[in-house]
Amino acid sequence: MTTGYHPLVKRLLDGELALAELPPELQAEGAEALGLLAAMDRRLVTLPPTLDARVMAAVRARAASPSRRMLRWITEPRELHLRVRPWLLGAGLAAAALVVLLGGPVGLSHRRGTLPNVAAASESVFVRFVLYAPGAKQVGLAGTFNQWDQSATPLVRAGNDAVWTVTLALPAGQHQYAFVVDGRRWVTDPAAPAVDDGFGRRNSVIAVGGAAGRVL
Amino acid sequence: MSRRFGLLLSAAAVCAPQLTAQQDVTARLVGRVPPAVAVAVRALADSAAARGLPADPLVDKAIEGGAKGVSPERVVAAVRLVLGELDAAAAAIRIGRVAIPDGETIEAGAFAIATGMTGPQISQLVQLSATPYRPAATLRVAGTLTALGVPAQQTVDLVRQTIRNGRAGADLLALPGRVQSQVARGASPAQAAAGLARATAARGAPPGGPKGNKGQGNPRRP
Repeated sequence: MTTGYHPLVKRLLDGELALAELPPELQAEGAEALGLLAAMDRRLVTLPPTLDARVMAAVRARAASPSRRMLRWITEPRELHLRVRPWLLGAGLAAAALVVLLGGPVGLSHRRGTLPNVAAASESVFVRFVLYAPGAKQVGLAGTFNQWDQSATPLVRAGNDAVWTVTLALPAGQHQYAFVVDGRRWVTDPAAPAVDDGFGRRNSVIAVGGAAGRVL
Repeated sequence: MSRRFGLLLSAAAVCAPQLTAQQDVTARLVGRVPPAVAVAVRALADSAAARGLPADPLVDKAIEGGAKGVSPERVVAAVRLVLGELDAAAAAIRIGRVAIPDGETIEAGAFAIATGMTGPQISQLVQLSATPYRPAATLRVAGTLTALGVPAQQTVDLVRQTIRNGRAGADLLALPGRVQSQVARGASPAQAAAGLARATAARGAPPGGPKGNKGQGNPRRP
């Protein structure tokens, strides 16, 4: 079957030309196209009046029960949008401080110092890393925060094919990192300060502040 | 018998934390570096711990070398270099009158040294870091400024100016971001730092001295 008809044949199908008006070498193609068009069944389909009722009955029969909907809501993965509001953060910190003052829950054990994990968690800051890497097939982020594991934090393409990005929560403190392009090329972040890594390359540096969420 | 048991118990109590630390180092290095490197790093980590230095930066550097496919000799050399920086930082911080520097401050000092600052400059920065400014934060800011390309002495001067005239600890933490934004507009790091120093001086000291982050200073010698 022909998939791309000559423009004159298309005009024939549109009714702008007659078959006889086509050049001789296109008449066979035009006849074939007209034949195919004629072969199509163009009658209107008449739906039975009971169809709507039958479809809706089937939909209701397959609809999940409330308990199944609840189970699905709990178990199905879905996208979450977290928005940190300063007044809620303040209230959360106050609640956490109250919990600590009252002795803390049993599950919040910690290894050193007097600050519990609650404080450590509240001092994490979400940081977005972006790299422009045209031609890259995959990009990873490796650093002190993920034991320099180049496959632990993959970046994803963001809209434009050459822009790669990832957002992750970093604990307060200073971190060194680098992007790994296609599993072999270590690239520093052009938007961050860098220091000698001791191996002849450079590491990018990011310092994440505490409660203020400041990134140095 | 009971005395011998008591001695054994005391010895166990003294050695237990060190053994745990060794096991921790070993566990972190398994599969990340060749066994010979792991042995060398463990010895260096023990040496660091014995001198009151944090061992984590050494393990981190070894793991980084393993991840980057660096030769074992070069990994060990880099770990030794980090140990030297930690040592130098701890000494400079003590000269800066912090009697027992914590691991965080020593790491921050080592970072500042790695970016090109000298021991005396580290000592000056620590001396400047009276409450509410924490020495670790000051050293991190200074190291980040130097890593951005601000000359080391100019960094010290800018930090001193900010601490003397700053209204809050946040002013200090904001310095690297301000330098970066000036550099993004075409200034050199030195020009950006000079501009910030002029702006800080023009603003002057607030009445009642700096505020914010109170009670976070490090213990000092009497």
